[in-house]
Amino acid sequence: MLIDDNEIDLKINAKLISLTKLFEEIIICQSGEEALNYLNKHLQNENKLPTFILLDIQMPEMDGFEFLNHYKQFSRSFTDTCPVAMLSSTLDFGDIQRAEANPYVIKLLKKPFSPKELLALL
Amino acid sequence: MRPPSVRVLYIDDEENNLSAFKASFRRQYEIYTAISAADGLKILQSVDIQVIIADQKMPNTTGVEFFKSITETYPDPIRILLTGYTDIEALADAINHGDIYRYITKPWNDLELHNSIKNAYDAYKAKIDLRNKIAELEKTNDELNRFIYSISHELRAPLVSVIGIVNLVKLENMYNSSGEYWSLIETCSNKLDYYIQKTLQYYKNNKTVAETSEIDFKTLVTELIEVHAYADKDTQFTVNVVQNMPFKGDLFRIEVILGNLISNAIKYQKVNELNKKVNIDIEVGAALAEISISDNGMGILNEHLEKIFTQFFKSKVHHGSGLGLFIVKEALNKINGRIAVSSDVDNGTTFTITIPNAK
Repeated sequence: MLIDDNEIDLKINAKLISLTKLFEEIIICQSGEEALNYLNKHLQNENKLPTFILLDIQMPEMDGFEFLNHYKQFSRSFTDTCPVAMLSSTLDFGDIQRAEANPYVIKLLKKPFSPKELLALL
Repeated sequence: MRPPSVRVLYIDDEENNLSAFKASFRRQYEIYTAISAADGLKILQSVDIQVIIADQKMPNTTGVEFFKSITETYPDPIRILLTGYTDIEALADAINHGDIYRYITKPWNDLELHNSIKNAYDAYKAKIDLRNKIAELEKTNDELNRFIYSISHELRAPLVSVIGIVNLVKLENMYNSSGEYWSLIETCSNKLDYYIQKTLQYYKNNKTVAETSEIDFKTLVTELIEVHAYADKDTQFTVNVVQNMPFKGDLFRIEVILGNLISNAIKYQKVNELNKKVNIDIEVGAALAEISISDNGMGILNEHLEKIFTQFFKSKVHHGSGLGLFIVKEALNKINGRIAVSSDVDNGTTFTITIPNAK
């Protein structure tokens, strides 16, 4: 699942990820709310649930960290099967530390997104 | 137009002086009088006084003692001391410790005292104006800094999208499909990104207060080499770290300093040199760390050596941003470090840095 408010980045990154053939399907969400709606709707349907989330930090309304606050409300049986990596063009030390301190975030990847880094991560 | 009223406090233990003073000056100033230092303090606490006149010879607390006692609590009012002719010692003490603007001998001459109060008020106004100006400038500076920070981030977001597209083009094997256009886009984008990153480094160096944490130079240098040698695998690094004790310092700034120097050492190699070398020697002592980074690169012209740390200085031949070494210098300034450089065009360049151990 890709969550990013930037349409161009969504397009590019979806394409880059599909080229890696790591995943069967890519769910594209333009906001944290949209992602939460999707997850809530399909919570009982394992086939529809993502196994990996790539989350942007700076988004209007709900930013990446707020999304994580909601995300941790989901049951562990789901979140344990779906690691989150943050993806951001930030160079802000504070953001980086904050992301890496979050127990649900396995890594902060920097934009431009590099498929190689994703491969190394998974 | 009536001039703004000047609030003057006069402290004297002689009632006669107080009334004489009031009689002479009440038309020009807003006068407050006190019969003792303690009384004077009470008035200071409730009224915003601009000029204080105090008699030196008073029982309990002398004028100078009073002025000394309020240097911390009421630093703003301008002080004038009234003394007898012979009181040289009190005068010396007043000038040295009491932050006195003028002294007037007793009995005072109305005109002289009047001029002194006027000048004192001007000094007061200048002091307050200056402080307001500084506060205003600090605010503007702060806003400007924040603007640089936000705009850099905003500029970077679409830029990394462009770089992402170029990466995609590479993966889909279209990179060479339009002559060299894609590689030109990539070069320009990387350059722009470099500028934005330097700008952010500069901003952060200006803004952030020094934070000390423990630094392991061996790990740090290895990481930095990995990051910066990413694009250039030709350069041979020899790293020699002697660190037998903990070193505490500002990780962000030390990273910026070493990162810029290492990246320069790689960037400014001789193009035709087959044996590109960079030596990094670090020795950590109890008081400071000594770091030397030397390369066998193209060297720096003698006449340029003095200018390389100035903002936007670039050598004509090789296109840098003119920011790297400037930021190095700025970052070192913030952590009381020093830098020296020696270079010649035949043998390359050596930068020597010392950074105090903050443990």
